Amino acid sequence: MVSPGPEEAVRQQALGEIRRILGEELAVAAAVEPGLALVADLHLDSMELLTLAVGLENRFRVKLNEADGAGVKTVGDLAGLVARRVQETRP
Amino acid sequence: MNPARPPALSAVGRALPPHRADQETLIAAFRDLWAKQHFNVDRLEDLHRAVRVGGRNLALPLEQYPALDTFQKRNDAWIRAARSLGAEAVRRALETARLPVEAVDHLFFITVTGIATPSLDALLVNDLGLRADLKRTPIFGLGCVGGAAGIARAADYLRAFPGQAAVLLSVELCSLTLQREDLSIPNIIASGLFGDGAAAVVLEGGDRRPASPRVPRVVATRAVFYRDTERIMGWDVVDTGFKVVLSAKVPSLVRERIRGDVDAFLAEHGLDRSRIAHWVAHTGGPKVLRAFEEALELPPRALERSHRSLEETGNLSSASVLFVLGELMDEPRGPEAEPPREGDYGLLLAMGPGFCSELVLLQW
Repeated sequence: MVSPGPEEAVRQQALGEIRRILGEELAVAAAVEPGLALVADLHLDSMELLTLAVGLENRFRVKLNEADGAGVKTVGDLAGLVARRVQETRP
Repeated sequence: MNPARPPALSAVGRALPPHRADQETLIAAFRDLWAKQHFNVDRLEDLHRAVRVGGRNLALPLEQYPALDTFQKRNDAWIRAARSLGAEAVRRALETARLPVEAVDHLFFITVTGIATPSLDALLVNDLGLRADLKRTPIFGLGCVGGAAGIARAADYLRAFPGQAAVLLSVELCSLTLQREDLSIPNIIASGLFGDGAAAVVLEGGDRRPASPRVPRVVATRAVFYRDTERIMGWDVVDTGFKVVLSAKVPSLVRERIRGDVDAFLAEHGLDRSRIAHWVAHTGGPKVLRAFEEALELPPRALERSHRSLEETGNLSSASVLFVLGELMDEPRGPEAEPPREGDYGLLLAMGPGFCSELVLLQW
Protein backbone atom coordinates (compact mmCIF):
# COMPACT_ATOMS: atom_id res chain seq x y z
CA MET A 1 0.00 0.00 0.00
CA VAL A 2 1.05 3.60 -0.57
CA SER A 3 1.84 5.44 2.61
CA PRO A 4 0.25 8.88 2.97
CA GLY A 5 2.43 11.74 1.84
CA PRO A 6 2.70 14.70 -0.47
CA GLU A 7 2.35 14.40 -4.21
CA GLU A 8 6.10 14.61 -4.71
CA ALA A 9 6.69 11.58 -2.52
CA VAL A 10 4.22 9.56 -4.57
CA ARG A 11 5.83 10.82 -7.76
CA GLN A 12 9.18 9.48 -6.58
CA GLN A 13 7.58 6.15 -5.66
CA ALA A 14 5.97 5.99 -9.10
CA LEU A 15 9.32 6.68 -10.70
CA GLY A 16 10.79 3.80 -8.74
CA GLU A 17 7.97 1.50 -9.79
CA ILE A 18 8.36 2.51 -13.45
CA ARG A 19 12.07 1.66 -13.22
CA ARG A 20 11.27 -1.68 -11.57
CA ILE A 21 8.67 -2.68 -14.20
CA LEU A 22 10.90 -1.61 -17.09
CA GLY A 23 13.92 -3.42 -15.67
CA GLU A 24 12.34 -6.56 -14.21
CA GLU A 25 9.31 -7.20 -16.41
CA LEU A 26 10.23 -5.57 -19.71
CA ALA A 27 13.99 -6.15 -19.72
CA VAL A 28 14.84 -2.54 -20.51
CA ALA A 29 18.57 -2.30 -19.92
CA ALA A 30 18.96 1.48 -20.27
CA ALA A 31 19.08 3.83 -17.27
CA VAL A 32 15.56 5.21 -16.93
CA GLU A 33 15.63 8.98 -16.42
CA PRO A 34 12.48 11.12 -16.05
CA GLY A 35 13.23 13.04 -19.24
CA LEU A 36 13.27 9.96 -21.48
CA ALA A 37 10.34 9.51 -23.84
CA LEU A 38 8.52 6.19 -23.44
CA VAL A 39 8.16 5.54 -27.15
CA ALA A 40 10.79 7.67 -28.89
CA ASP A 41 13.66 6.92 -26.47
CA LEU A 42 12.77 3.67 -24.70
CA HIS A 43 11.07 2.18 -27.79
CA LEU A 44 8.19 0.67 -25.81
CA ASP A 45 5.56 -1.01 -27.99
CA SER A 46 1.82 -1.06 -27.29
CA MET A 47 1.95 -4.23 -25.19
CA GLU A 48 4.87 -2.91 -23.14
CA LEU A 49 3.09 0.40 -22.53
CA LEU A 50 0.06 -1.57 -21.40
CA THR A 51 2.18 -3.70 -19.06
CA LEU A 52 3.60 -0.50 -17.59
CA ALA A 53 0.16 1.09 -17.13
CA VAL A 54 -1.35 -2.04 -15.58
CA GLY A 55 1.65 -2.43 -13.26
CA LEU A 56 1.25 1.14 -12.02
CA GLU A 57 -2.50 0.73 -11.59
CA ASN A 58 -1.95 -2.37 -9.50
CA ARG A 59 0.75 -0.84 -7.31
CA PHE A 60 -0.99 2.50 -6.68
CA ARG A 61 -4.65 1.35 -6.89
CA VAL A 62 -5.61 4.02 -9.43
CA LYS A 63 -7.07 3.89 -12.92
CA LEU A 64 -5.23 5.45 -15.85
CA ASN A 65 -7.46 5.95 -18.86
CA GLU A 66 -6.79 6.63 -22.52
CA ALA A 67 -7.44 10.35 -22.19
CA ASP A 68 -4.67 10.44 -19.59
CA GLY A 69 -2.30 8.83 -22.06
CA ALA A 70 -2.58 11.73 -24.51
CA GLY A 71 -0.56 14.04 -22.29
CA VAL A 72 2.04 11.47 -21.30
CA LYS A 73 5.22 11.41 -23.35
CA THR A 74 8.04 10.86 -20.87
CA VAL A 75 8.79 8.73 -17.84
CA GLY A 76 8.42 11.87 -15.72
CA ASP A 77 5.00 12.66 -17.24
CA LEU A 78 3.81 9.19 -16.32
CA ALA A 79 5.10 9.40 -12.73
CA GLY A 80 3.42 12.80 -12.38
CA LEU A 81 0.12 11.43 -13.68
CA VAL A 82 0.19 8.57 -11.18
CA ALA A 83 0.93 11.02 -8.35
CA ARG A 84 -2.03 13.24 -9.36
CA ARG A 85 -4.37 10.25 -9.58
CA VAL A 86 -3.30 9.07 -6.14
CA GLN A 87 -3.92 12.54 -4.71
CA GLU A 88 -7.35 12.74 -6.39
CA THR A 89 -8.48 9.41 -5.02
CA ARG A 90 -7.48 10.11 -1.45
CA PRO A 91 -10.42 10.73 0.84
CA MET B 1 -0.58 -38.92 -66.45
CA ASN B 2 1.51 -35.84 -66.27
CA PRO B 3 4.56 -36.21 -64.00
CA ALA B 4 5.24 -32.47 -64.06
CA ARG B 5 1.87 -31.63 -62.56
CA PRO B 6 2.22 -30.10 -59.07
CA PRO B 7 0.66 -31.74 -56.01
CA ALA B 8 -3.05 -31.04 -55.49
CA LEU B 9 -4.86 -29.96 -52.34
CA SER B 10 -7.81 -32.31 -52.80
CA ALA B 11 -9.84 -31.50 -49.69
CA VAL B 12 -9.83 -29.84 -46.29
CA GLY B 13 -11.62 -31.32 -43.29
CA ARG B 14 -12.29 -29.02 -40.36
CA ALA B 15 -13.34 -29.98 -36.84
CA LEU B 16 -14.18 -27.78 -33.88
CA PRO B 17 -14.72 -29.12 -30.37
CA PRO B 18 -18.34 -28.96 -29.17
CA HIS B 19 -18.04 -26.66 -26.15
CA ARG B 20 -18.88 -23.22 -27.54
CA ALA B 21 -18.30 -20.21 -25.30
CA ASP B 22 -18.88 -16.67 -26.46
CA GLN B 23 -16.32 -14.00 -25.62
CA GLU B 24 -18.42 -12.37 -22.89
CA THR B 25 -18.89 -15.71 -21.14
CA LEU B 26 -15.13 -16.23 -21.24
CA ILE B 27 -14.48 -12.72 -19.95
CA ALA B 28 -16.85 -13.37 -17.05
CA ALA B 29 -15.00 -16.61 -16.29
CA PHE B 30 -11.62 -14.83 -16.31
CA ARG B 31 -12.72 -11.78 -14.36
CA ASP B 32 -12.32 -13.21 -10.87
CA LEU B 33 -8.94 -14.64 -11.78
CA TRP B 34 -7.71 -11.28 -13.10
CA ALA B 35 -9.06 -9.46 -10.05
CA LYS B 36 -6.72 -11.46 -7.83
CA GLN B 37 -3.81 -9.45 -9.13
CA HIS B 38 -5.11 -6.60 -11.26
CA PHE B 39 -6.78 -3.43 -9.96
CA ASN B 40 -8.34 -2.22 -13.22
CA VAL B 41 -10.14 -5.30 -14.53
CA ASP B 42 -12.19 -3.23 -16.98
CA ARG B 43 -9.01 -2.58 -18.93
CA LEU B 44 -8.42 -6.31 -19.31
CA GLU B 45 -11.99 -6.88 -20.44
CA ASP B 46 -11.44 -4.25 -23.13
CA LEU B 47 -8.33 -6.15 -24.25
CA HIS B 48 -10.39 -9.31 -24.73
CA ARG B 49 -12.95 -7.38 -26.75
CA ALA B 50 -10.29 -5.65 -28.87
CA VAL B 51 -9.07 -8.93 -30.41
CA ARG B 52 -12.31 -9.12 -32.42
CA VAL B 53 -13.08 -12.70 -31.47
CA GLY B 54 -16.75 -13.50 -30.94
CA GLY B 55 -16.18 -16.76 -29.14
CA ARG B 56 -14.27 -19.99 -29.06
CA ASN B 57 -15.04 -23.71 -29.25
CA LEU B 58 -13.28 -25.25 -26.29
CA ALA B 59 -11.81 -28.72 -25.97
CA LEU B 60 -13.52 -29.13 -22.61
CA PRO B 61 -16.57 -27.64 -20.89
CA LEU B 62 -15.57 -24.32 -19.34
CA GLU B 63 -16.12 -25.49 -15.79
CA GLN B 64 -13.54 -28.27 -16.14
CA TYR B 65 -10.57 -25.94 -16.73
CA PRO B 66 -9.87 -24.77 -13.15
CA ALA B 67 -9.16 -28.37 -12.09
CA LEU B 68 -6.38 -28.64 -14.70
CA ASP B 69 -3.76 -27.25 -12.34
CA THR B 70 -0.67 -29.12 -13.58
CA PHE B 71 1.07 -29.59 -16.90
CA GLN B 72 0.36 -33.31 -16.71
CA LYS B 73 -3.39 -32.84 -16.28
CA ARG B 74 -3.55 -30.33 -19.12
CA ASN B 75 -1.44 -32.45 -21.45
CA ASP B 76 -3.40 -35.62 -20.65
CA ALA B 77 -6.59 -33.71 -21.49
CA TRP B 78 -4.86 -32.48 -24.66
CA ILE B 79 -4.06 -36.04 -25.79
CA ARG B 80 -7.63 -37.23 -25.25
CA ALA B 81 -9.27 -34.28 -26.99
CA ALA B 82 -6.68 -33.96 -29.78
CA ARG B 83 -7.03 -37.64 -30.59
CA SER B 84 -10.77 -37.51 -31.20
CA LEU B 85 -10.78 -34.09 -32.85
CA GLY B 86 -7.86 -35.00 -35.11
CA ALA B 87 -9.57 -38.23 -36.18
CA GLU B 88 -12.74 -36.29 -36.99
CA ALA B 89 -10.85 -33.79 -39.17
CA VAL B 90 -9.03 -36.55 -41.09
CA ARG B 91 -12.23 -38.51 -41.64
CA ARG B 92 -13.97 -35.42 -43.02
CA ALA B 93 -11.07 -34.57 -45.33
CA LEU B 94 -10.86 -38.12 -46.71
CA GLU B 95 -14.62 -38.24 -47.20
CA THR B 96 -14.59 -34.96 -49.17
CA ALA B 97 -11.59 -36.18 -51.20
CA ARG B 98 -13.45 -39.48 -51.73
CA LEU B 99 -10.41 -41.44 -50.66
CA PRO B 100 -10.44 -44.56 -48.48
CA VAL B 101 -8.25 -44.44 -45.41
CA GLU B 102 -6.02 -47.14 -46.95
CA ALA B 103 -5.04 -44.73 -49.73
CA VAL B 104 -3.01 -42.53 -47.37
CA ASP B 105 0.75 -43.02 -47.79
CA HIS B 106 2.06 -40.32 -45.46
CA LEU B 107 0.63 -38.47 -42.46
CA PHE B 108 2.18 -35.15 -41.45
CA PHE B 109 1.10 -34.05 -37.99
CA ILE B 110 1.51 -30.49 -36.80
CA THR B 111 0.94 -29.05 -33.35
CA VAL B 112 2.45 -26.71 -30.82
CA THR B 113 -0.06 -27.08 -27.99
CA GLY B 114 0.56 -30.57 -26.61
CA ILE B 115 3.03 -33.42 -26.66
CA ALA B 116 2.70 -37.18 -26.89
CA THR B 117 4.99 -40.10 -27.54
CA PRO B 118 3.95 -42.14 -29.42
CA SER B 119 2.90 -39.01 -31.25
CA LEU B 120 -0.71 -38.29 -32.12
CA ASP B 121 -0.24 -39.50 -35.70
CA ALA B 122 0.69 -42.92 -34.29
CA LEU B 123 -2.45 -42.99 -32.13
CA LEU B 124 -4.49 -42.17 -35.23
CA VAL B 125 -3.03 -45.14 -37.13
CA ASN B 126 -4.91 -47.26 -34.61
CA ASP B 127 -8.03 -45.12 -34.36
CA LEU B 128 -8.51 -44.58 -38.09
CA GLY B 129 -7.18 -47.91 -39.37
CA LEU B 130 -4.39 -46.32 -41.39
CA ARG B 131 -1.98 -48.67 -43.16
CA ALA B 132 0.85 -50.28 -41.20
CA ASP B 133 3.37 -49.00 -43.77
CA LEU B 134 2.12 -45.42 -43.43
CA LYS B 135 4.99 -42.94 -43.19
CA ARG B 136 4.57 -40.50 -40.31
CA THR B 137 6.13 -37.09 -39.77
CA PRO B 138 5.15 -35.39 -36.50
CA ILE B 139 6.25 -31.75 -36.42
CA PHE B 140 6.23 -29.81 -33.15
CA GLY B 141 7.05 -26.16 -32.56
CA LEU B 142 6.20 -24.24 -35.70
CA GLY B 143 3.27 -22.47 -34.05
CA CYS B 144 1.10 -20.29 -36.24
CA VAL B 145 3.22 -20.84 -39.34
CA GLY B 146 2.69 -24.62 -39.12
CA GLY B 147 -0.32 -24.92 -41.41
CA ALA B 148 1.43 -23.18 -44.29
CA ALA B 149 4.74 -24.92 -43.59
CA GLY B 150 2.97 -28.26 -43.38
CA ILE B 151 1.41 -27.84 -46.82
CA ALA B 152 4.81 -26.85 -48.19
CA ARG B 153 6.62 -29.86 -46.67
CA ALA B 154 3.89 -32.32 -47.71
CA ALA B 155 3.97 -30.89 -51.25
CA ASP B 156 7.76 -31.30 -51.31
CA TYR B 157 7.29 -34.96 -50.39
CA LEU B 158 4.69 -35.53 -53.12
CA ARG B 159 7.00 -34.07 -55.74
CA ALA B 160 9.28 -37.00 -54.99
CA PHE B 161 6.40 -39.49 -54.88
CA PRO B 162 3.82 -38.15 -57.37
CA GLY B 163 1.74 -41.32 -57.24
CA GLN B 164 1.10 -41.03 -53.51
CA ALA B 165 -1.45 -39.34 -51.23
CA ALA B 166 -0.59 -37.52 -48.03
CA VAL B 167 -2.62 -36.04 -45.22
CA LEU B 168 -1.53 -32.98 -43.29
CA LEU B 169 -3.25 -32.81 -39.90
CA SER B 170 -3.04 -29.83 -37.59
CA VAL B 171 -4.56 -30.00 -34.12
CA GLU B 172 -4.26 -27.04 -31.80
CA LEU B 173 -5.97 -26.92 -28.42
CA CYS B 174 -4.72 -23.56 -27.23
CA SER B 175 -7.15 -23.44 -24.30
CA LEU B 176 -5.31 -26.37 -22.73
CA THR B 177 -2.03 -24.45 -22.64
CA LEU B 178 -3.44 -21.54 -20.66
CA GLN B 179 -1.34 -20.66 -17.62
CA ARG B 180 -4.04 -19.50 -15.21
CA GLU B 181 -1.56 -18.02 -12.77
CA ASP B 182 0.29 -16.03 -15.45
CA LEU B 183 -1.51 -12.69 -15.31
CA SER B 184 0.92 -10.92 -17.63
CA ILE B 185 -0.50 -8.83 -20.46
CA PRO B 186 0.76 -11.20 -23.21
CA ASN B 187 -0.96 -14.14 -21.51
CA ILE B 188 -4.18 -12.20 -21.00
CA ILE B 189 -4.18 -11.25 -24.70
CA ALA B 190 -3.42 -14.85 -25.68
CA SER B 191 -6.31 -16.08 -23.53
CA GLY B 192 -8.62 -13.76 -25.45
CA LEU B 193 -7.29 -14.54 -28.90
CA PHE B 194 -6.47 -18.23 -29.28
CA GLY B 195 -8.99 -21.02 -29.77
CA ASP B 196 -9.18 -24.78 -30.32
CA GLY B 197 -9.63 -26.67 -33.56
CA ALA B 198 -8.28 -29.25 -35.99
CA ALA B 199 -7.91 -29.22 -39.76
CA ALA B 200 -6.76 -31.93 -42.14
CA VAL B 201 -5.71 -31.43 -45.75
CA VAL B 202 -5.59 -34.27 -48.27
CA LEU B 203 -2.79 -33.74 -50.78
CA GLU B 204 -2.36 -35.87 -53.88
CA GLY B 205 0.72 -36.18 -56.05
CA GLY B 206 0.71 -34.99 -59.66
CA ASP B 207 0.23 -38.46 -61.10
CA ARG B 208 -3.04 -38.90 -59.28
CA ARG B 209 -6.47 -37.65 -60.30
CA PRO B 210 -8.34 -35.92 -57.46
CA ALA B 211 -12.07 -36.63 -57.22
CA SER B 212 -12.98 -32.97 -57.59
CA PRO B 213 -12.11 -31.54 -61.02
CA ARG B 214 -11.19 -28.11 -59.67
CA VAL B 215 -8.78 -28.11 -56.75
CA PRO B 216 -5.79 -25.87 -56.08
CA ARG B 217 -2.30 -27.18 -56.81
CA VAL B 218 0.86 -26.20 -54.97
CA VAL B 219 2.85 -24.42 -57.69
CA ALA B 220 5.70 -23.27 -55.45
CA THR B 221 6.56 -22.61 -51.81
CA ARG B 222 8.92 -20.28 -49.99
CA ALA B 223 10.23 -20.25 -46.42
CA VAL B 224 11.56 -16.94 -45.08
CA PHE B 225 13.44 -16.74 -41.78
CA TYR B 226 13.82 -13.44 -39.94
CA ARG B 227 17.12 -13.57 -38.08
CA ASP B 228 17.46 -12.52 -34.43
CA THR B 229 13.74 -12.27 -33.71
CA GLU B 230 13.54 -15.22 -31.34
CA ARG B 231 11.57 -13.44 -28.59
CA ILE B 232 8.79 -12.17 -30.85
CA MET B 233 6.68 -15.24 -30.32
CA GLY B 234 6.93 -18.69 -28.78
CA TRP B 235 6.77 -20.64 -25.55
CA ASP B 236 8.85 -20.47 -22.43
CA VAL B 237 8.58 -24.07 -21.27
CA VAL B 238 8.10 -23.83 -17.49
CA ASP B 239 7.21 -26.30 -14.74
CA THR B 240 3.52 -25.73 -15.34
CA GLY B 241 3.64 -26.07 -19.12
CA PHE B 242 3.83 -23.65 -22.01
CA LYS B 243 4.05 -19.98 -21.02
CA VAL B 244 3.33 -17.71 -23.95
CA VAL B 245 5.89 -15.32 -25.40
CA LEU B 246 4.06 -12.74 -27.48
CA SER B 247 5.40 -9.40 -28.60
CA ALA B 248 3.45 -6.45 -29.95
CA LYS B 249 6.13 -6.20 -32.64
CA VAL B 250 4.47 -8.83 -34.86
CA PRO B 251 2.34 -6.35 -36.87
CA SER B 252 5.31 -4.03 -37.45
CA LEU B 253 7.45 -6.96 -38.59
CA VAL B 254 4.70 -7.89 -41.05
CA ARG B 255 4.63 -4.32 -42.31
CA GLU B 256 8.40 -4.24 -42.76
CA ARG B 257 8.91 -7.61 -44.39
CA ILE B 258 5.91 -9.29 -45.97
CA ARG B 259 5.57 -7.08 -49.03
CA GLY B 260 9.18 -7.53 -50.15
CA ASP B 261 9.08 -11.26 -49.47
CA VAL B 262 5.80 -11.79 -51.32
CA ASP B 263 6.87 -9.64 -54.29
CA ALA B 264 10.21 -11.43 -54.63
CA PHE B 265 8.55 -14.84 -54.43
CA LEU B 266 5.88 -13.99 -56.98
CA ALA B 267 8.38 -12.36 -59.34
CA GLU B 268 10.34 -15.60 -59.50
CA HIS B 269 7.23 -17.14 -60.99
CA GLY B 270 6.51 -14.28 -63.37
CA LEU B 271 3.69 -12.94 -61.21
CA ASP B 272 2.83 -9.88 -59.19
CA ARG B 273 0.24 -9.21 -56.49
CA SER B 274 -2.40 -8.12 -59.00
CA ARG B 275 -2.47 -11.69 -60.36
CA ILE B 276 -3.45 -13.22 -57.02
CA ALA B 277 -7.21 -13.78 -57.01
CA HIS B 278 -7.41 -15.55 -53.63
CA TRP B 279 -5.56 -14.57 -50.47
CA VAL B 280 -5.49 -17.17 -47.73
CA ALA B 281 -3.94 -15.46 -44.71
CA HIS B 282 -3.30 -16.77 -41.22
CA THR B 283 -5.70 -15.17 -38.74
CA GLY B 284 -3.00 -13.78 -36.46
CA GLY B 285 -5.24 -11.13 -34.96
CA PRO B 286 -6.89 -7.91 -36.09
CA LYS B 287 -3.64 -5.94 -36.13
CA VAL B 288 -1.79 -8.63 -38.06
CA LEU B 289 -4.57 -8.87 -40.65
CA ARG B 290 -4.58 -5.09 -41.02
CA ALA B 291 -0.82 -5.16 -41.48
CA PHE B 292 -1.21 -7.77 -44.26
CA GLU B 293 -3.89 -5.67 -45.94
CA GLU B 294 -1.90 -2.45 -45.80
CA ALA B 295 1.55 -3.84 -46.62
CA LEU B 296 0.27 -5.90 -49.55
CA GLU B 297 -2.20 -3.18 -50.67
CA LEU B 298 -4.93 -5.77 -50.88
CA PRO B 299 -8.31 -4.95 -52.39
CA PRO B 300 -11.15 -4.40 -49.90
CA ARG B 301 -12.50 -7.67 -48.51
CA ALA B 302 -9.58 -9.73 -49.85
CA LEU B 303 -9.05 -11.10 -46.33
CA GLU B 304 -12.72 -11.31 -45.45
CA ARG B 305 -12.52 -15.06 -44.84
CA SER B 306 -9.64 -14.58 -42.43
CA HIS B 307 -11.50 -11.85 -40.52
CA ARG B 308 -14.61 -14.02 -40.35
CA SER B 309 -12.67 -17.07 -39.21
CA LEU B 310 -10.99 -15.04 -36.47
CA GLU B 311 -14.36 -13.76 -35.32
CA GLU B 312 -15.94 -17.22 -35.34
CA THR B 313 -13.22 -19.38 -33.79
CA GLY B 314 -10.31 -17.21 -32.64
CA ASN B 315 -6.74 -17.77 -33.76
CA LEU B 316 -6.30 -21.54 -34.09
CA SER B 317 -2.51 -21.29 -34.47
CA SER B 318 -1.32 -23.68 -37.20
CA ALA B 319 -4.88 -24.79 -38.01
CA SER B 320 -6.10 -21.25 -38.71
CA VAL B 321 -4.82 -20.87 -42.25
CA LEU B 322 -6.18 -24.33 -43.08
CA PHE B 323 -9.63 -23.30 -41.82
CA VAL B 324 -9.50 -20.27 -44.14
CA LEU B 325 -8.39 -22.51 -47.02
CA GLY B 326 -11.23 -24.92 -46.23
CA GLU B 327 -13.74 -22.06 -46.33
CA LEU B 328 -12.46 -21.02 -49.74
CA MET B 329 -12.53 -24.54 -51.16
CA ASP B 330 -15.83 -25.68 -49.66
CA GLU B 331 -18.15 -22.72 -49.63
CA PRO B 332 -16.92 -19.85 -51.72
CA ARG B 333 -18.61 -16.66 -50.66
CA GLY B 334 -17.53 -13.15 -49.87
CA PRO B 335 -15.50 -11.31 -52.51
CA GLU B 336 -16.31 -13.92 -55.16
CA ALA B 337 -19.85 -15.17 -55.58
CA GLU B 338 -18.41 -17.92 -57.79
CA PRO B 339 -15.92 -20.64 -56.87
CA PRO B 340 -12.29 -20.16 -57.94
CA ARG B 341 -11.92 -20.49 -61.71
CA GLU B 342 -9.47 -22.65 -63.58
CA GLY B 343 -6.13 -20.88 -63.79
CA ASP B 344 -6.77 -18.61 -60.80
CA TYR B 345 -3.79 -18.02 -58.56
CA GLY B 346 -3.93 -17.96 -54.79
CA LEU B 347 -1.38 -17.16 -52.12
CA LEU B 348 -1.54 -18.88 -48.76
CA LEU B 349 0.62 -17.22 -46.14
CA ALA B 350 1.36 -17.48 -42.45
CA MET B 351 3.94 -16.28 -39.96
CA GLY B 352 5.08 -17.83 -36.72
CA PRO B 353 7.81 -18.35 -34.13
CA GLY B 354 11.33 -18.02 -35.41
CA PHE B 355 10.22 -15.43 -36.44
CA CYS B 356 9.47 -16.62 -39.96
CA SER B 357 6.93 -16.79 -42.72
CA GLU B 358 5.88 -19.44 -45.21
CA LEU B 359 4.36 -18.62 -48.59
CA VAL B 360 2.48 -21.13 -50.73
CA LEU B 361 1.58 -20.28 -54.31
CA LEU B 362 -1.57 -22.07 -55.42
CA GLN B 363 -3.21 -22.39 -58.81
CA TRP B 364 -6.63 -23.79 -59.55
